[in-house]
Amino acid sequence: MNRVNSLTQAYSQAPWRKQLQWIGLFLLLLIMVALVAGIYLSVTARAATIGRQVQGIYVEMEKVERNIEDLQTQLAYLTSNTVIEERAAELGFQPVNPDQMIYVEVPGYKRPEQATLGSIPGKAMPSEPVLAPEYTQSLFDWLRERVFEPAAPLLVEMRP
Amino acid sequence: MNKEQAWRYSTLGILLTALAAFVVIQMLRIQLSPEAKVLREQGAIYSGEWRIITPARGQIYDRWGHLLAGNRTVYEAGVDLVDVEDPTSIAFALNAIVGTEYEDAFAAASQDPASGTVYATLARFVTEEQKVRLEELAAQMENTYGDEAGDQNKSLAGLRFTPSLQRSYPEKSLASNILGFVNWEGEGFFGIEERFDEQLAGVTKYVWISRDPNKVEEQPEIPSGASLVLTIDRAMQSEVEKIVDKTITETGSESATIIVMDPRTGDILAMATSPRLDLNEFWRYGEVFEGATPFNRAVSGTYEPGSVFKVLTMASALDSDTVKPQTPFLDTGAIEVGGTVIRNWDSGAWGPQDMLGCMQHSLNVCLAWVATKVGANKFYSYMDTFGFGHLTGIDLGLENPGRLKQPGDSDWYEADLGTNAFGQGIAVTPVQMVAAISAVANDGKMMVPRIVLSIVEEGKQYNTSPQVAGMPISNETAHELTKMLATSLEIESSIALVDGYRVAGKTGTAEIPTPFGYTSSQTNASFVGWGPVDDPRFLVYVWLEKPTISPWGSVVAAPVFKEVVERIVVLMNLPPDDIRKRLLESQ
Repeated sequence: MNRVNSLTQAYSQAPWRKQLQWIGLFLLLLIMVALVAGIYLSVTARAATIGRQVQGIYVEMEKVERNIEDLQTQLAYLTSNTVIEERAAELGFQPVNPDQMIYVEVPGYKRPEQATLGSIPGKAMPSEPVLAPEYTQSLFDWLRERVFEPAAPLLVEMRP
Repeated sequence: MNKEQAWRYSTLGILLTALAAFVVIQMLRIQLSPEAKVLREQGAIYSGEWRIITPARGQIYDRWGHLLAGNRTVYEAGVDLVDVEDPTSIAFALNAIVGTEYEDAFAAASQDPASGTVYATLARFVTEEQKVRLEELAAQMENTYGDEAGDQNKSLAGLRFTPSLQRSYPEKSLASNILGFVNWEGEGFFGIEERFDEQLAGVTKYVWISRDPNKVEEQPEIPSGASLVLTIDRAMQSEVEKIVDKTITETGSESATIIVMDPRTGDILAMATSPRLDLNEFWRYGEVFEGATPFNRAVSGTYEPGSVFKVLTMASALDSDTVKPQTPFLDTGAIEVGGTVIRNWDSGAWGPQDMLGCMQHSLNVCLAWVATKVGANKFYSYMDTFGFGHLTGIDLGLENPGRLKQPGDSDWYEADLGTNAFGQGIAVTPVQMVAAISAVANDGKMMVPRIVLSIVEEGKQYNTSPQVAGMPISNETAHELTKMLATSLEIESSIALVDGYRVAGKTGTAEIPTPFGYTSSQTNASFVGWGPVDDPRFLVYVWLEKPTISPWGSVVAAPVFKEVVERIVVLMNLPPDDIRKRLLESQ
């Protein structure tokens, strides 16, 4: 019996060691929780920062769009018919009369019939995707493409 | 660990557990309390906002891409009531710089934020310059008095500016009768702005914008409204408007209207009338267009056209083989149609004439005879095909269809056939006359007057196609009549003739009916002409309302036609006939 007790005593851990293990386990958990919390905080903070930047960019976009409209209109005011006529008159130009006109034939020249302010529908080239498929396809799509769909032949049969 | 230590630790553990339990219970109590629901709802209100995103209104260009209608930034001036320190200074500043009523601004800025109102609008459509002046004044006050609130301190604290886009017209009154305008609320009135209001305005969307940066979502792309390219040539429009203004002054007319059209396509190159409005001051509309004055006489103003209508009477007679240019007619100075005696413009008898002479001397008696020979049914069938009594289909708001009485109508009498033949007793608009006469100038094909050349939407330009409204007369009739009218101008050495360019045309002088008949001495003077005769590129219609220096179209309207043609051939790069033919031969 004494032998059994001594063996049990020999293989059992000292109380302080057990407490140390519990404390270690607790600290490990605490560190893990802190780590997860830290990562979560870091990610959410970055997301919030980027979210704020996105909000700012939307505000900036609105401002830029308004600015473009303003500048187009300002340019139109500066080049309006009245202003151009006044500037021409200041520079000494006068309206030309039909008998003062000299007509010269320019081979190949065709006067445009109207302004072109946009592309002609149906003639626009389809836009190239900006991102490679690797950046947009899911892992499942990638696997299916690589595993199940037939690969391109290594050799192309040459025909005479 | 002895017992005492164990007891202490146990007690501490129980206390901490109880404290933790208390915190948890308190958290649950707060979360589940009725006030929490109210707080959550309030939180939801402040978590974002529903915002109306209004796309920029589409722009309007002339045929060469010159901007006729664009947008500019204006601001709404308001106050965040919590931040307001000195409503008196705010009201004074807005009154002095923007022109807002002092009492209104003071009352709005003096509201108590505790009442639940957090923001008050003080002025709308504040310009960039006014905003800058207000901001400079605010900075000046802050520098002088500091940002401390006090009874003696002047401050514009709390003043906020919210930007938005407002219509702007760089060419001011140029082509104003064609463009129309957009009011403060963004609604289009008259002309293109009204006719294409939906397309220009684009689609407004109601979007939830989150204030929580973690919940920022991609905002939907809201494209601007469609832009329009008009058939109008800015330089030509300007020249024709100058001629309109000069003509009104020189002839003492009540108004003048000139339309320039390309008869091959129906493109309206210029459409000028009076009065015109600086579209940037659209609120002066009531002041400029007094009473029932139409916004655009060219499409809404109806009148009896007079002898220019003889072109169409003769077209119907030639096309129906009723007469030939050489058909003789003995003018005795009077003819009775349906019990009404019709006389010539000079009440004289012109003796033996042919159809060319009838047109050259503008003989009412002869044309009334021609109409009776064509027959009422056939004559009105032609006039119906020429589009009288119908809308032309021009892309402008408020077009008037005019009035053509026809056999079968309760107010039509046989005498009307005689008077209609020389353009009396019929109500037409200038644009109807232009459309109808385009058939004579364009090988018999009548074109729908076109004002919108292209629609530009999301970067794509959709060009409209010229539309043939019908073929009321044959190619041969059109050529024959054009030749007759060119010759008649040349024989009488009309002042409408243009050096270097062979033109065809007809004058018109119409009496103006009163409630007691044609008792007024006032007239509508007009002229229609087109050229070059062998390949018409322009059709010009001139209408002068009640000229005072002379009642006759041949005296007051014909020189206006000549002046217009002399200006537009330069702007169209259209060489004189001999040079044009030489250039064509050399190709």
